[in-house]
This record gives sequence, structure tokens and C-alpha cells, in this order.
Amino acid sequence: MRRTPHLLICAAVLLTATITKTIAAQATTRLPGELVWTIGYDPKTFDPAKVDDQESELVRYLTAGVLLRFNRATQSVEPRLAEHWNVTPDGKTIVFKLREGLQFSDGSGLTSRDVAWSIRRVLLPAMGAPVAEEFLSPTVVTVEAPDARTVVVHLPQRVIGIGKVFDEIAIEPADRPSEGRVTAGPFVVADYRRSQYVRLRPNTHYAGRDSAGKQLPHASGIRLDILENPEQQIRLFQRGEYDLIDSIPPDYFELLKQTSGSAVRDLGPSLNTEQMWFNQASGAPIPAWEKSWFQNRAFRVAVSQAIHRADLARIAYQGHATPAYSFISPANGTWYNHQISAPHTDVAAAKISLASAGFHWNGSVLQDSSGHPVKFSILTNAGNAARLKMATLIQQDLGALGMQVNVVTLDFPALIERLMHTEDYEACLLGLENVDPDPNAMMNIWLSSSSNHQWNPSEKTPATEWEAEIDREMNRQASSVKDVERKQAVDRVQQIVADEQPFIYLVYPNVLVAVSSRLQGVQPAVLEPSLVWNVESLYLQGTR
Amino acid sequence: MKFNIPAACLLIGLVIAASVIVARPGASYSYQDRESSFAQTSKQHPAGTDALGRDRLVRVAASLLLGLTGALLASAATTAAAAGVGTLAAFGPASIGWSAMLVCDVFLALPWLFLLMMVRSAFPLTTSPEGSAAITFLVLAGLGWPACARAVYRGALRLKGAEWMLQARAQGLRRSQIIRSVIPNLIPLLLPQFIICVPAFIIAEANLGALGLGIGEPLPSWGGMLLELGNSATLLQTRWIYLPVVLLIVFLLLLETVAVEA
Repeated sequence: MRRTPHLLICAAVLLTATITKTIAAQATTRLPGELVWTIGYDPKTFDPAKVDDQESELVRYLTAGVLLRFNRATQSVEPRLAEHWNVTPDGKTIVFKLREGLQFSDGSGLTSRDVAWSIRRVLLPAMGAPVAEEFLSPTVVTVEAPDARTVVVHLPQRVIGIGKVFDEIAIEPADRPSEGRVTAGPFVVADYRRSQYVRLRPNTHYAGRDSAGKQLPHASGIRLDILENPEQQIRLFQRGEYDLIDSIPPDYFELLKQTSGSAVRDLGPSLNTEQMWFNQASGAPIPAWEKSWFQNRAFRVAVSQAIHRADLARIAYQGHATPAYSFISPANGTWYNHQISAPHTDVAAAKISLASAGFHWNGSVLQDSSGHPVKFSILTNAGNAARLKMATLIQQDLGALGMQVNVVTLDFPALIERLMHTEDYEACLLGLENVDPDPNAMMNIWLSSSSNHQWNPSEKTPATEWEAEIDREMNRQASSVKDVERKQAVDRVQQIVADEQPFIYLVYPNVLVAVSSRLQGVQPAVLEPSLVWNVESLYLQGTR
Repeated sequence: MKFNIPAACLLIGLVIAASVIVARPGASYSYQDRESSFAQTSKQHPAGTDALGRDRLVRVAASLLLGLTGALLASAATTAAAAGVGTLAAFGPASIGWSAMLVCDVFLALPWLFLLMMVRSAFPLTTSPEGSAAITFLVLAGLGWPACARAVYRGALRLKGAEWMLQARAQGLRRSQIIRSVIPNLIPLLLPQFIICVPAFIIAEANLGALGLGIGEPLPSWGGMLLELGNSATLLQTRWIYLPVVLLIVFLLLLETVAVEA
């Protein structure tokens, strides 16, 4: 009998804690002119050099003063704290000239000494800064500050897309790292309540001005509420508590469209891809005849031709995805190969292709030349409804060719164990998130020697001539100093992949966002942060 | 007031109705009518369709039959295993009894959900959907027997000390003869165990399926159908989306009513 009151108290405490957490963000008062939106979890760090998670990266983007900024709309590098910059023809020396009169948010002057210190700091092995890896050999990079406005960076070797790397290096006061509290960017970290919100205030010493000469940023502040529930996020957006949602699941997009039609926007294909592939690893513990199917180009092309990608986009993504035929999305205007010739849906052609490769039909069952029925499994991760739907749709599509497909969902650790360690799987359906539009960032996938070369990882020498050609072309784009030559190499890789289908690309999920009608200055872009990449120009109607 | 007879009648009625729905000409639980995703009620699809355009009524009916059949078989296997282990432990040498109960305790202490996930992930990937259903229920049976075995062990110990047992021993009956007499006396204990396990296994399959780790597509299962409810955005599409969960609750309540009053 005595237990009941204790249980009630425990239940009450738990309920109170849950409700408190849920409403804490909402209960925070919005300051006049303050922009408010949500992030999914607490940023792991406010130290801009240590950022390695999405939410910390967003805070760094909003607060950091950088030498160069990668413009998400034009996909070009623009000077910010640097007045101008140039790279020597060999690509090994970069010279930055700083703008005059730069100041940090505390009013102290920003000189080349601060810049050199900030760059050196991220290069220190002890810092473990993820951005350091982009310098390829960070320990031998040297930084000089010959005068108060000049910074010279010496690299041991040319780095592709080096300009974008400086978009990720926040310039901080030398010897005074402040975790975002003293910055040269548009905003400064003002307040942080764990599991509740991060509040940013404007940097009154920010160097930026708009076209009318008015001081930036326009907004009087930013509040990032920490909220992981998309449904609650949408409800609060509808109530006007939030000004934007930068990523909406397709199902919720339709829901929001019904009530706030003008607020939601489908920005078209993202840079991300969803794809399936067959296990071609020679050491994989699967029957030899299955390997021979998977290593057969005609088989892979026939599978690709049998898949109705338009149905995948329409049903699994409620129409908010785009059929995919290449590893580069059409959203990536610079690198997408518009001339690509890829196998499109054609079941009759798929049957002809299979017949010419020695497959035949016994009744409705497809068999190989040795009489083995074509039967395999497609593995995907449990808990991803869109992928499960796609796999089930593909199961029926391939059934039309007489293939018997099992759809298997596994929890992520078990899935990774099979993909990366035991290699005990036949086909897999997963996605790839691409944050960098430059294909050089995908070297680890395309080089045959890479452990992330999923269909046949860590090859000692390329197993096929076409993989050897991909290696050559990817290395050519990585070492070439001419953009035209790089583009030719990447175009060729796209065509080889379309011809050989080592990855059968399915869809590009679309970028789905919502913007309040009160929020002005928004120029949505496909690249992240898609709605706030020009945060200094955003403001609420009537508050500017 | 006894509810078990009306509950049993309703259960039988549900099973007959489900069988008729599944067996009617043209009914398919796997056919994807891709132009009719989340279709509303129609003559062709009385309960509408799911996200992939599959007939919801047929899938729910097939889930009911598959879940019930699997749970009945698994429960029978569990009860048989428990009867064997419990009787052996009670009438065998003390060391065997002690070891058998230790094994039961170890099984009961295992985090069964994680164990199920681990076992499920170790299935051969080529397992057909039917095979995955069989293995799922076999695994449930394999993990469900210890609690039942403990109960049987206690019951068998009571029988061992009963006067008629002492008399049988005094008359020189062999152990095998005694055990043959014990089994019929354990039936009043085994029958409720059998009935209780049926809804427990249905719920366990639904849990596993709701985690995406149960019976493979396109075979319908309670767990697979409950996955639809995980996304609140789809709940507004059609009220028929609640049919599986409502039917599952009704079905379990009926089973529990029969089990409790049996």
C-alpha cells in the first residue's frame, strides 16, 4: 500500500520533467525583431575549431567571421574579411589581403596576427579539428603574417577547392578563444540553456553593409530552440512561434501545405542520393553464381531498367523526390553532366538484356545459365519508412523480370557490420548525404582502393578496366589545375557509372522548407544552410 | 458473469471472416495498385489502401490469420518444451532439476528484446518472407518457454509429493510409468499456460515488427501494419489507417478474456 504514493510521485516527476522540457522552448519570450527557428539537438561545442556536428556547424556559420564565404546560391567563393585573395599557379601559396578597419565584436582590432593564429590553431593535431583534414597534410602547412593586413598560407601540395576550406575557419582573437562569444561574424553567442535554446545577439562591429549602405545584420537577434520533434516544430510554426523550418519530411510537408500552403516550398532535388548496389566483393561469403550475376554489367543494367523511379519518388516521397541517374544531382549545376546517357525504365529492354547475358525463364522464374533461380535480398536500415517503401516497390518491379527479392531491414549496427566487416549481403539500399558540391569530396567512394568503395571495398588493384578508368579520371580531376579538365574528368566518371551501374541511383530527395510570410530577405538555396545562408540580410517584416 | 463463451464465439467469427476475406477471388495482400496510394473506401477496397496501394482489408485479415496461426504454433511448442523441461526437472535427479531451473533463470534474466533483435539480425538474408515469419515465431517460442517451465516444475513437484504418487512408488511403478501418469495431471496447468502465451506472442511479434525487425515484406503482419501509425502525418490521410490497431486490441482483449476465464 505504501508503494502507491511513491509511484504516483515518480510518475508526476517524470510527467513534469517531460512537459517542462517540451514547453521550455515555447515559454521563452521572443525579443522584438528576433528570428526564431529550431535545431534538433544541443550543439556539441561552441568552439568553432572543434565543430563536427550539424548543429554546432550551424552556430559557427551564424557567428563566425571568415576570410572567404562559399555563396550557397551562386556556388562560388566570395571574399568576406579578406578584401581579395589569390593563389599562385602551382596552387601551393595563398595570399589574403584583409579589409581595412576590421574589428571583433568586443571592439578590438582584427589583424593578420589573429588570422594566422586562428588558422594555425585549427591545424594543430591536438585540436583534432575536422577542417584540418581538408589541407591533406595539415602538419606541414605554414602560415605567415608579413604585415597587419596580409596573410600568406603555404601548402605542401595543391588542394582542390581550397577557397571553400576557409569558409569553415572562424577568425578569433589571437590567444583568446571565446567559444563564439567574441566573433567577427554577424552574430555572437549571447546565451545558452541546455536542452532549451541558444540565443545569438548581433555583432555591432560587423563589417558587412547592405547595398543601401545600412549596417548588417538586419535582425535584432536569433533564438535557436532545441526541439527534436518535427510534428511539434510544425505546429509551433503554424502558430507563428517559428519563422522557418529548414528541412521538412515529405509526409509533414503535405500536411503543412494543407494549412499553410504559401509558407512551404519544394526547392527541388538536393545534393543527396538514394541508391542500391550489389555486392561485387570477390571475398564476400555469398555463392559464386550470385557473384557472377552481380559482376555482370547486363544484369545490373537490367535491374536498373526494371525500376520505376518515378513511382519511387511519387509513392515513397509523396512526389517530393526526383528520379536519379547519376551520383551528381542536377542541383549541382557546375558538375552535373547534362549529356549523360543512362538506362531508363524499360522492362522489355531489360528482358532482352538478361536473355543476351545467358539468363532464361522457367515459367515466370528467371534462371541463370546454370539453372539457378535469380533470388537475392535487398538490405536496408530499419526505421526509415521511405527506404522500406522503395525496397518493397523495387521488390515488385524486379518480380516483373522473374527475380525473387527479399526485403530485409536491420538495425544500423547490424547493417554496418554486414556492409563493412563480414561483407555478408547481396544487395543494399541506402542513401548518401553530400554537403560539398565538389566531386573531389567523393574521392573516398570512387577510388577502388578506398574502404568506402561500397560495391567492392579496398581493392588492391582495380578489379575491372572501368574501375581503373574511374581511378584515373578521379585522380585527374584531383590534380588538374584547369577547371575545364576537371569537369571533363568528372563528366567521364558520371558516364562510366551510368554505363556500368555499380550504384543504381534511385532518387534525389527534394529540399523541403517552410518560411513564414513575416520573414524577409530569404533566398532559398539547395545547399545547407538553405534558408539562412544569407542570415545577415534576414529580418522580420516591420522591424528593420 | 462469464464472458468466455461470447468472446470465443467472436474470436471464431473474426477468424472465419478473415479467412473469407483472404480467400475471396482476386484478393491479394501484396499487389501494389500504385495509382491508389492511401485510397479511400471503395467497392474494390472496402477499407482503402496503404501507402503502396495494397488492399488494407486483405492485409489486416491476413495479418490476423498469420499472427494467430504463428502464435498458436509457437505457444504449442513453448508449452511442450516447458512440460518436458519442468517434468524432467521435477522427477529427474536433483542435479538435473537444479541445472534446468538455473537455465530458466538465466533465460528469464536476459533482455529479450535485444536478444530477439540479435537473433533476428543473424537470420540468413535469403530467408523468404514465409521463412522469416516461421523463424520469428520459432524464436519467440525458443525464448518463451522458461517462465512456463518454472510453473510446470512447481506443479510437477506438488504432484511428486502427492499421496497417489507415493502409493504408485510403493507399488513399484517404474519412473516412465509414473511420468505417463503425471502428464494428464499437468494439463490443467499447461492449458492456461498455452492460452496465455498466444496473446503474448502476438504482442511480441507486433513489437518486433513495429521496430522493422519482424516478418519480411510483402507478407502482412501486425507489427508491419502498426509501422504506418509511427508517422503522425499519415494519420490524417484516412481513418482506416487505425483499423489494424483497433482490430489488434479487440483481438487481444478477446484472447485475454478467453484465457483468463478458461
